[in-house]
Amino acid sequence: MSALHEQQIPASGAAGLAGVAARDAAGGRRVRRFSADLSAVGEPALWAFGGALALGIILIAGFLAMIAWNGFSTFWPKPIERVELTSGEVLAGVATRGGPYRPGESTLAQLDDETRAAIAANDGFASRTLYQTANFDLYGDDFRWVSDFEVADITRPEDFFYIERQQWGVFIGRIVSLVVDGEQVEITPDRLSREQRAARQRFTEIRGLERGDIGGINHLIERERLAIRRAEIRLGEDSPEAQAAIAEAQARIAELQAEFQTLQQRVNAIRAEDRTTRITFAEVNGQQVETELSQVVRFFPANALSLPDKIGIYLSRWWEFVSAEPREANTQGGVLPAIFGTVAMTLLMVVFVAPFGVITALYLREYAKQGRVTSIVRISVNNLAGVPSIVYGVFGLGFFAYAMGGTIDQLFYPEALPNPTFGKGGILWASLTLALLTVPVVIVASEEALQAVPRSMREGSLACGASKWQTIRYIVLPKALPGIMTGMILAMARGAGEVAPLMLVGVVKLAPALPVDGFAPFIHLDRSFMHLGFHIFDVGFQSRNSEAGKPMVFVTTVLLLALIITMNATAIYVRNRLKRKYASGEF
Amino acid sequence: MAVTETLPRNDGIAPTTYHVKAGGQGAALDIRDFNLWYGETQALFENSLEIQKGMVTAMIGPSGCGKSTLLRSLNRMNDLVDGLRISGQIMVDDFDIYGRGVDVIALRKRMGMVFQKPNPFAMSIYDNVTYPLRVDGVTKKSILDDTVERALRSAALWDEAKDRLKESALGMSGGQQQRLCIARAVASDPEVLLMDEPCSALDPIATAKIENLISDLRGQYTIVIVTHSMSQAARVSDNTAFMYLGRIIEYGATETIFTNPKVARTNDYVTGRFG
Ligand SMILES: Nc1ncnc2c1ncn2[C@@H]1O[C@H](COP(=O)(O)OP(=O)(O)O)[C@@H](O)[C@H]1O
Ligand SMILES: [Mg+2]
Repeated sequence: MSALHEQQIPASGAAGLAGVAARDAAGGRRVRRFSADLSAVGEPALWAFGGALALGIILIAGFLAMIAWNGFSTFWPKPIERVELTSGEVLAGVATRGGPYRPGESTLAQLDDETRAAIAANDGFASRTLYQTANFDLYGDDFRWVSDFEVADITRPEDFFYIERQQWGVFIGRIVSLVVDGEQVEITPDRLSREQRAARQRFTEIRGLERGDIGGINHLIERERLAIRRAEIRLGEDSPEAQAAIAEAQARIAELQAEFQTLQQRVNAIRAEDRTTRITFAEVNGQQVETELSQVVRFFPANALSLPDKIGIYLSRWWEFVSAEPREANTQGGVLPAIFGTVAMTLLMVVFVAPFGVITALYLREYAKQGRVTSIVRISVNNLAGVPSIVYGVFGLGFFAYAMGGTIDQLFYPEALPNPTFGKGGILWASLTLALLTVPVVIVASEEALQAVPRSMREGSLACGASKWQTIRYIVLPKALPGIMTGMILAMARGAGEVAPLMLVGVVKLAPALPVDGFAPFIHLDRSFMHLGFHIFDVGFQSRNSEAGKPMVFVTTVLLLALIITMNATAIYVRNRLKRKYASGEF
Repeated sequence: MAVTETLPRNDGIAPTTYHVKAGGQGAALDIRDFNLWYGETQALFENSLEIQKGMVTAMIGPSGCGKSTLLRSLNRMNDLVDGLRISGQIMVDDFDIYGRGVDVIALRKRMGMVFQKPNPFAMSIYDNVTYPLRVDGVTKKSILDDTVERALRSAALWDEAKDRLKESALGMSGGQQQRLCIARAVASDPEVLLMDEPCSALDPIATAKIENLISDLRGQYTIVIVTHSMSQAARVSDNTAFMYLGRIIEYGATETIFTNPKVARTNDYVTGRFG
C-alpha cells in the first residue's frame, strides 16, 4: 500500500503539471520502471506483514510457553533448604522464586559496612529468595523473603519431610513420633506409608458417609419438610387432607432421622478409631505439632528422593488435581468440581445456542426478504458481539435469575420461599446468559455457511420438485453443517473461557454439591457451580494467601486451556467426520 | 449485454417467422406473447413459440440473448429472482403456468431440468437419482430400486454405475455427473426435459455421449435444449428457434433454419457471420 503511494505521488504530480493526468501518470511510472536495474528488491509491504505475523506468533508462543512451563513445573517436588541466618535464626523451606530488590534505609542501617558497600557497588540492589516455610498453624504465614546477605549457611537435611495436610496446608519439618492404635511404634518408611494409607482410607470412608449417605438423608428430610410446607399452602393449613399429608411426612422424617442416627454413630466410631493413630512433627526449631495421621494427604523426604520417586509424586499430584475436591480455600487439592462445572455449563450453553442461532440464521438468510430490515438485524447482531460481557451478566441476573427465576419459584416452588430455588444464579441461567453472549457468533457463521451453499445445488433440488423446506433440509443444511459447526466451535471456545458474567449468574468459590448427583431429578439446573476461569481468579487474587495460590493459577490455566482445546478438538473431529460423511453421501 | 439496446421495430427483427417441422403431435408447451423483465430491464420481448410434443427443440442465439431466461421460464425457475415481472402466457395442457393457483412444485415435477454445469448433490448415486421421488414422499424400496435402474439406463449410465450406487456422486467424472443429472431429471418420469447448454462444461467424448443420449430420448420426452453450438443443434434437434436480443427471430424445422433460413439475420448467425 505505502509502496504504491510512493510511486504514484511524484508521477501524478508531474501529470498535474502536464494536464493529462492518467496517461502521464502511467508514462511516468513506465520511465521509472525502465530506469530501475534488474536486481530483486522485494516487497516492503510484504516484509511488514511477515514481521507482524512473526511478532504475533512469537507473542502467542511465548505466552503459551510461560503458562506451560509454570503450570507443568508446579507439581514437581523441590528440595527443602535449611537456612541459617547471620542473626542466628534458623528456618527451613522450599525456595520458590527470587530476584534483585532495593533494600530500604532502615535495613541498610543495620548491616555491617562490608555488605553495605557491596550493595552500594551493585547500584543499591541486593538479591533475595522467597521461601515457602509452610507451617501456617505455627508461623501465621506460609512464605518468607530471605535476603542473600542475611544467609550464613544453607544445607539440605535428608530427614526433612514435605507434608501435605488436609488442613492448615503444608508442614515442613521432621517426623518425631508415630502412635498407632494408642501405642508408640518405631518409625520406618514402610510402616509409615502403610499406616498413612490405612488412615487415608478411614478418612475417605468418613467423608463418603458424611457427604454421600448422610447428605442424602439430609436431602430427603429437607424434601419432606418442603412437602409439609406444600401441603399447608395447597390444601390449607387446617384441612384434614393437609393434616394427613403432614402426619405422613413427619413419620417419614422420623424414620429418616433414625437412619441418620445410625449412620452418625458409625461415623463417630470410625472417628474415634481414627483419633488413636497420630503423628507428631517438629519444625526446624523443634516446635511440635500433633495430628491424626489421616490428616496427612501426602508426605515425602524432599531431599532424599530418587527420580522415580519424584515422578511418582508429580503424577500423584496431577491426579489429585484433576480428580479431587479442593482443600485449603482452593489453594490445594483438586479442581474436579470446577472441571465438571465448566464442561457442564459449556455443553448446556451449546444446547441452547445451537438451535437458536441456526434457526435465526436460516430465517434471515433463506426466508426473510433481503432489504433494509434484514440489514439492520444483521448489523445489530454483529454489534451484540461487541457488548461487554459483564453487561450480559447483569442482564442475566436481572432477567433470567430475578424475573424468570422469581416467577418460576412463585409458580412451582412456593414452599421453599423465601429461599430462592431458581430465583438466584445457577447453572441454567449461566448457560442461558452465555448462550446469549455467543449467539451472534453462531448466527454470523451459520449465515455465511448457508450463503456459501452454491446456487446450483438449490436450483437442482427445486427443479426436482422439492419444496423450499425440503431443499433446505436435504441439500442446504447438510452442506452448510460443517460451517455451522465451526461457528459452534468458536462459540464454545468463547463461552468456556468467559468469566465475568458468570460471577453474577451462578459461579461460586466453593459449590456444596455438583449440578448432577444421585438424587431425583438427578440434574439440578438451579444449583450454583464452580468454574475453572473463576477458580483462577479466586485462587490467584481472592485467597487469604495469594502467594500460595499463585502456582495453582498456572496449573489451572493449563487445565482450562487443555479442556477448551479438548472440547474444540472433539467438535472439529465431529465436524470433519460430518464433512466426509456428506461428501460420500452415506446418510 | 445488448438486451437493453432499444431496437426500431422494422429492422428485420420482427415479425417472427414460423415454419415448424411437420409430424408433431401438437404443442407440449405453448408460449404466447411472453415478456419478461428483470427489475427494470426487459429480457424477453413478445416471445411466442409452440414446442412440439415428443420432439427436440433447440434454442440458439448469441450469448445474453435470453435463451436461458426463456428456458427457465418454462418451469418457473426464474421465480427465485427478486424483482421479476412477466406478461403473457405459457400454456401446458390448457393451463397457464403463470396463472393463478398453479402448484409450482407439481409443475416442476412434470419437467426435468439439466443445468449448464453438472450439479449432483453431495449424496450417493442412488440417493441422487431417487431424490425427486423421495421429496415426493415415495419410500418403497422396490419402487426406488426400479426407478434407479430405469433412469440410469435411460441416461446410459447403468453399466458404469450399477456397482457403485452407494458411492458418492461427487467421485464421478464430469461427463458421468452430467448423465447422472439427466438420470435424475428423468427419474420422476416427466413429460418435458429442459436442458440448458448441458454439454458446455464437458469434453468432446462426453459431449458425444450426451448427444447420443438425447437422440435416444427423442420421442419419449419433449426436449428443449439450449445450446451455443450450432452443430449440436443441427445434429440433435427437430426444430430450432433462433433468438436475438430477447426476441425469437425465426423458428422452424432445423434443416430449414440451417440451410435455408427465411430471415437474413438468422442466415448471418448460422453461417457464422456474427454471434
Ligand atoms: N437473474 C438475473 N437478473 C438480472 N438480469 C439477468 C438475470 N439473468 C439474466 N439476466 C440478463 O438477461 C439477459 C439474458 O440472459 P440469459 O437468459 O442468461 O442469456 P443466454 O442464456 O442466452 O446467454 C442478459 O442480458 C442477462 O444479463
Ligand atoms: Mg445461458
